[in-house]
Amino acid sequence: MNTHPYLRAYMAGTFVPTIVVMLAVCSFAFVRYVCGVVPAFPVERFMIFPLAFVPSLWGVWNLLYVALKRRLPIGVHGTLLVVLLAPLGLTVGRLIGLYSLHANGFVSPQGAQLPYTVVVIGAAGGLIIYYLMWKYVVGFLNRMLGIA
Amino acid sequence: MNANDEKWLKAQLRENLPPVSGELERDLWPRMRARLESRPHAVPWWDWALAGAAVVLLLIAPQSILLLFYQI
Repeated sequence: MNTHPYLRAYMAGTFVPTIVVMLAVCSFAFVRYVCGVVPAFPVERFMIFPLAFVPSLWGVWNLLYVALKRRLPIGVHGTLLVVLLAPLGLTVGRLIGLYSLHANGFVSPQGAQLPYTVVVIGAAGGLIIYYLMWKYVVGFLNRMLGIA
Repeated sequence: MNANDEKWLKAQLRENLPPVSGELERDLWPRMRARLESRPHAVPWWDWALAGAAVVLLLIAPQSILLLFYQI
């Protein structure tokens, strides 16, 4: 199977965020409509970045991994994506009015706060999860598709 | 290539290449079985430690799960 390696790399890369965004939307729908809890942030604005940007960027990042002849270990390569995604996500969130910055942390239009300590902890957890997802899930898919 | 050249080429090949036997020199199944039973992609201990650290971080600050949903 030597044809279209970049297409296969793109598709393998988009797999994880596509599944995660589906779980996220299902979770929000369950919490909102089954449990009757109204989230303290605008869900429709929140979902723009994970739906519109993240899957494509994962796909392009995996395509880049194949195009660069796999110079870095795939886990490290995937972790570097956070360096691109985090500032982009923050910028998009700010532009669409998802949050505003205050002295204590991020504040949603409904008034919910996300302290900076939580953001730092989330960033550390995110780096680890990115590393593991890329190493084991994307790496497995790349091997399955014959591009690893 | 005429008939003489062809004969010469055949002779050269017979002389210089080892004979090919129809039988395998050894049984390949044990090696195949060992490969099937081996675990080439076993998870190293430091990756388990990282996974544990990620779970601990998410338990310390459950709100950060939102950030993960946002970035993944």
